[in-house]
Amino acid sequence: MAGSNLRRHKPATTNKISAYFLHHLQSLVFSLGKIYQAPATTIMTVAVIGITLSLPGGFYLFLKNIDAMSGDFRSSTQISLYLDLDVSEKQARAVDKDIGGMEKVESTRFISREQSLEEFRQNSGFGKSIDTLSSNPLPHTIVVEPVAADSFEIRNLVNQLQAMPEVKIAKLDTEWLERLYTIIEIAKRSVTIVTILFACAVLLIIGNTIRLDIQNRYQEIIVTKLIGATDAFIRRPFLYGGVWYGLMGGVVSWLIVEIGYLVISGPLERLNLLYQSEMTLITFSFHDFVVLIASSTLLGLAGSWIAVARHLNQIEPS
Amino acid sequence: MIEFHNVTKRYEGGYEALSNVSLQLGDGEMAFLTGHSGAGKSTLLKIIALIEKPTRGQALLNRINLNTVSRHRIPYIRRNIGIIFQDHQLLFDRPVFDNVALPLQIQGYRPQEIAKRTRAALDKVGLLKKEKSMPITLSGGEQQRVGIARAVVHKPLLLLADEPTGNLDPMLSREIMQIFVEFNQVGVTVLVASHDLGLIDELDKPRITLNQGQLILNDLIGDKREPGDGWK
Repeated sequence: MAGSNLRRHKPATTNKISAYFLHHLQSLVFSLGKIYQAPATTIMTVAVIGITLSLPGGFYLFLKNIDAMSGDFRSSTQISLYLDLDVSEKQARAVDKDIGGMEKVESTRFISREQSLEEFRQNSGFGKSIDTLSSNPLPHTIVVEPVAADSFEIRNLVNQLQAMPEVKIAKLDTEWLERLYTIIEIAKRSVTIVTILFACAVLLIIGNTIRLDIQNRYQEIIVTKLIGATDAFIRRPFLYGGVWYGLMGGVVSWLIVEIGYLVISGPLERLNLLYQSEMTLITFSFHDFVVLIASSTLLGLAGSWIAVARHLNQIEPS
Repeated sequence: MIEFHNVTKRYEGGYEALSNVSLQLGDGEMAFLTGHSGAGKSTLLKIIALIEKPTRGQALLNRINLNTVSRHRIPYIRRNIGIIFQDHQLLFDRPVFDNVALPLQIQGYRPQEIAKRTRAALDKVGLLKKEKSMPITLSGGEQQRVGIARAVVHKPLLLLADEPTGNLDPMLSREIMQIFVEFNQVGVTVLVASHDLGLIDELDKPRITLNQGQLILNDLIGDKREPGDGWK
């Protein structure tokens, strides 16, 4: 290379690679120092990133909980069979036995008309009014627990049971669950859209912060270019700056979601007691935490990269 | 070291800052570049420092054609030049030591080496005791000397100074010029743009004078080397 005769004064560094990593480390620390020196700007930027990311993070956690709850429901799929009123208890018990022997049926539970009435009397609070009825309006009921299967097979089973002459109504208790699943699916996709939009917002926030940073250090960039800094050398502290913003923003968003979780978990436990259910709120797993922090850090790097690519090359000494 | 062959620099809008300038500054020489403001002194220095490219003619720096240098090679060529600015261009967010050490950091020196060389450069300009000070706390003359220390810390082959004494009183100016002479004595090629004619007269060095972009005086007798004789 023709320029080699100019490079007479080689650095005494025997190990160029260690010097390279050293500068990376220096840039890392230097950019952190810059952030520390401008706490107001940093806090604002990091807070904006944190709040922005906490929205998709919170939605994600909400869906994760709904998903877990609906999983519990799915395992308890039941089909309620209401028999015709003129079916006698003996016939009904025979039907119950038949159904219990079916391949797709795990177990059945027979509730006679009298049992139904008794339960109703105790639970509904209409005990006295029921006593005034001349006859029992409730049918014999068979609660069928199907073998775990997909919704299509279960629906076939429901149709099969509905076709039996003694059965008046076969009611699948999971219809509402199917609707819930559809809603969850819609919500999931919405969360994906929200996540993409907010990720773009973070990209823009960090890009803009780094752009301002570049403008503020215009003079410094020119001076370092004049004393022989390569583009990569100048770029590095800004890229690390973006990484720090992303990292800290990620931690802040995690904190926001965790605090939100703590706020909600109190009333939810009361709700649990009221419903006698065993729903437990789940929070971010370690894996979720790593993904959240890693993605926000990557967003920081990408945002600063965009800003640096767009603005740094325009700065030349003149 | 520096060769200009009929170099013309015309800016957009037709303003001609340099017209047909030819000169040669040999290895280890020291010269003053004089002329009124607007005569083209800064443009000439900018071409050497790869800030501007000639519109016509050829500019060579140690045989490298500056007209055709690719963008990514510019930093490596600049590492052989020490530039001193009139307004010294220090970075005010970090102490003197870090300012002076910057060229060494850029070039990937090891920390021990950086510390050694930085202190040596600060010692040479008499500011070793100020290494921890922030530049803003220093006087104008001291700031300029920090700028000089930064320009020489990596032992460049060529020292360019653009009005280095422009803002200083005569005593300080003389001190600064003396530092340049000392560097020249140890083999560094020095080109100083200045309009401080009184001071220049005291220092018996060749002079290049520009007027409205044209060379009107050239004390340089040219490169003493034979063609093809490198300085490796």
